[in-house]
Amino acid sequence: MSAPPTPCGALRNAAGSVVLLLVFAGCATWTAPTNIDDAPLRERAVTAARGDVQVSAAVLGSEDSKRMLGADIIKANVQPLWIEVQNRTSQPLWLLHSGTDPDYFSPLEVAWSMHTLLGGRTNASIDDHLSKLGFRNPIPAGETRAGMLFTNPDRDPKLVNIDLFGSRTLIPFSLFVRVPDDVPNPRFTLTLFNYPETEIVDCHDLASLRAALERLPCCATDSHSRTGADPLNVVVVGSLGDIGAALVRRSYRRNLRDGDLEQSVFGRKPDVVLRKEAQGGAPATSIRGWLAPIRFNGDLVYVAQVGRPVGGRFAQGGTTGDVLHENVDEARNFLIQDMMYSGGLDKLGFVNGVGPAPEARPRTTLNDALYHTDGLRAVMFFATRPLSFTNVEILDWVPYLDQRESASSAENGDADK
Amino acid sequence: MNGIVNRRLAIVVVALFLSGCATATSTVGGLSYRGRAVTRTDGGLRVSVAVLSAEESVAVYGAPLAKKGIQPVWIEISNDGTLSYFLMSPGLDPNFFPASEASEAFTKGESSSGSDGLDTRFRDLAFRNPILPGQTRSGFVLTHLNEGAKLVQLDLVASAHATTFSILMVVPGFHADYHVSEVFRREIYPANEIVDYNDDDAFRVALEALPCCATNADGSKNGDPLNLVVVGGLDDAFPALVRRGWSPTEQKWSGAIMRMVTSALSGDRYVNAPVSDLYLYGRAQDLALQKARDNIHQRNHLRLWLSPIRYRSKPVWVGQISRDIGTRLTFHSPTFTTHKIDPDVDEARRALTEDMAYSQNLTRIGLVNGVGAARQDAPNENLTTDPYYTDGYRQVLVFDRRPTSLSEIEFFRWEVRAKPSGNLPAGAEQ
Repeated sequence: MSAPPTPCGALRNAAGSVVLLLVFAGCATWTAPTNIDDAPLRERAVTAARGDVQVSAAVLGSEDSKRMLGADIIKANVQPLWIEVQNRTSQPLWLLHSGTDPDYFSPLEVAWSMHTLLGGRTNASIDDHLSKLGFRNPIPAGETRAGMLFTNPDRDPKLVNIDLFGSRTLIPFSLFVRVPDDVPNPRFTLTLFNYPETEIVDCHDLASLRAALERLPCCATDSHSRTGADPLNVVVVGSLGDIGAALVRRSYRRNLRDGDLEQSVFGRKPDVVLRKEAQGGAPATSIRGWLAPIRFNGDLVYVAQVGRPVGGRFAQGGTTGDVLHENVDEARNFLIQDMMYSGGLDKLGFVNGVGPAPEARPRTTLNDALYHTDGLRAVMFFATRPLSFTNVEILDWVPYLDQRESASSAENGDADK
Repeated sequence: MNGIVNRRLAIVVVALFLSGCATATSTVGGLSYRGRAVTRTDGGLRVSVAVLSAEESVAVYGAPLAKKGIQPVWIEISNDGTLSYFLMSPGLDPNFFPASEASEAFTKGESSSGSDGLDTRFRDLAFRNPILPGQTRSGFVLTHLNEGAKLVQLDLVASAHATTFSILMVVPGFHADYHVSEVFRREIYPANEIVDYNDDDAFRVALEALPCCATNADGSKNGDPLNLVVVGGLDDAFPALVRRGWSPTEQKWSGAIMRMVTSALSGDRYVNAPVSDLYLYGRAQDLALQKARDNIHQRNHLRLWLSPIRYRSKPVWVGQISRDIGTRLTFHSPTFTTHKIDPDVDEARRALTEDMAYSQNLTRIGLVNGVGAARQDAPNENLTTDPYYTDGYRQVLVFDRRPTSLSEIEFFRWEVRAKPSGNLPAGAEQ
């Protein structure tokens, strides 16, 4: 068993792996599409315009996929997205695929998954067909281009971020697009909550915003308002599109699970839940957001919980459920760092409001999980204007310090020599 | 003219020298990694970095991190400036491991009381933000394991300000035979061979005159098309690649091939799959990089060669990029398994360009001729007989150390002649 494998063994293993691959690859059977008319997609597409550019987007359902692509690739966990761009500007534009889904699939990658072992000619037709359907850059000045992007699956409605890129130009769009065939469950639908205007406090300066944010509740409660739930340790300020674009660019997707419905703020379940899934679908950081009855110069203000389930990427399937990991500050701080690379973060600050819970006296949340925190709430402001991390302004609010360190620095000289 | 390049190369030589020493004297325990740390300064910031070997990880963390694909990077930062800085872990590795998550890799199934010790240990070792004026901080960031070489990218952010450092290092203890290209040790081109272009049109002519393809070792057979030109070096181009998840890959036959086969069987994500050698300028690639995706079947590869061309004093690398869409058996590569590439090689080229737009270091892009078009119905073949077709263009990406936002990236004024097109242009080669 411990003997070094011979090249022969390598060959056998490799051959075995190839056979296995072919067996799996053979799952989606391809039949030459007869009708690739995009009229049905066009009909239900969501459209938006900005300046001289108009975009439309629609998600394909299983029926569309069979009809247009020749197989139901949704079963293979690929969500085809039809996009049309009308470029009436005077320069060519590029649709940045990574902005729509950083882990998208190339057309021939999808085609390859439908190949069969001895299907030489058929395989070539599949390749040919999918490359023709793929969205091709650039979109020349004055022209209209339409095509497919092969994305990872999202629930209904899908937040479609479209970054159109030209010389010294970025024209971003964020659309909410219906996902056909998504299991209709009213509990999981996205509620774009609206407050009556009279309930909304519109803050016009940072000081009054800070005061309003510090008055928000520390934590969610369970759905019966009986016990405390996860802390509200993040606030995001901006338009829904700008916030969504930043998150999508860093691989956050809408992903609501049953456990999320237990968390309640302002007397309701989360308005939106996002998760950044690790490779292979392992659980990772979640963000649950509620629209707050606060506006900042007209911008929306969401209060949110950021945390990571116990086990993270190393959890074994189904063993841990969605139990909150105790170190919620770590998850919060790394979300901020992730957003630094999103191109959408404009300002960052920390406010009080969660209330400190030192490690020695942790607080309890749902499932009897414990957590500890420095008690700060991170406030992130998002903008449409693309920004690099050199542009992020750090507000002079509560200075961020590692609270844990003040307690432990005496015993640990390494981190703070 | 070459002052900047020389400075960079000197820094790398120090890095290689120091890590070479450590490999030779590798002793477990103690703080030997600090002794070989590479130090750089900029303004009021001084950073020191060392990548831990598998043995050092065990000694420091009390857990075999390398077995879980985790590699600790030790970082010390002294701040003599007036601003407070934050070190961004996703800059080192967009899929880095938070300390608490890494500790859970070793505490599965244990009661919370049993795992407390390890959890606390991991947390105490982690790098902590912020770095206040006058302060020195040190700690670890846990990244995905790289064997051979590692690009360490430190992005330090302050209010409306950032300072970045990029260090290419050899990882001690994994493979003593890791091949480090000469270009990272010294200037390999005689001064009279180096041509620095300031004029964009002359630069384009030089790029279009480059050979179409990489070749096999004796240059008798053409391999993959050279469809990429990267302008910039350690300080500007490589950070962009690291931030978007690219990492150096093994280049030689080694035990890695066996693990790759196992990985292909299990569908695991295996970050260090080797690539086979391709040749240009009479030598194998100077640097091979890959971006691992879900598993071994899906990864993008790029190979780079340093050319004797400079653009506005920046080094110019000529390269090849392809998207792997599966692992398959071949008899045309000495490693038996190879990667089935996406025959639409332009797709990989476009994907890299788009991905780099989000890297914050891309400043200019353009297309030049030089690859030679190959139509879909009459594809070319690479050395492992994978067919490919292309519009014949070569993508030029210019990077700069100063971060550039998405809306500031500029296009070369070449597109009038080399107009990119979605469909294969009949006269792409003209």
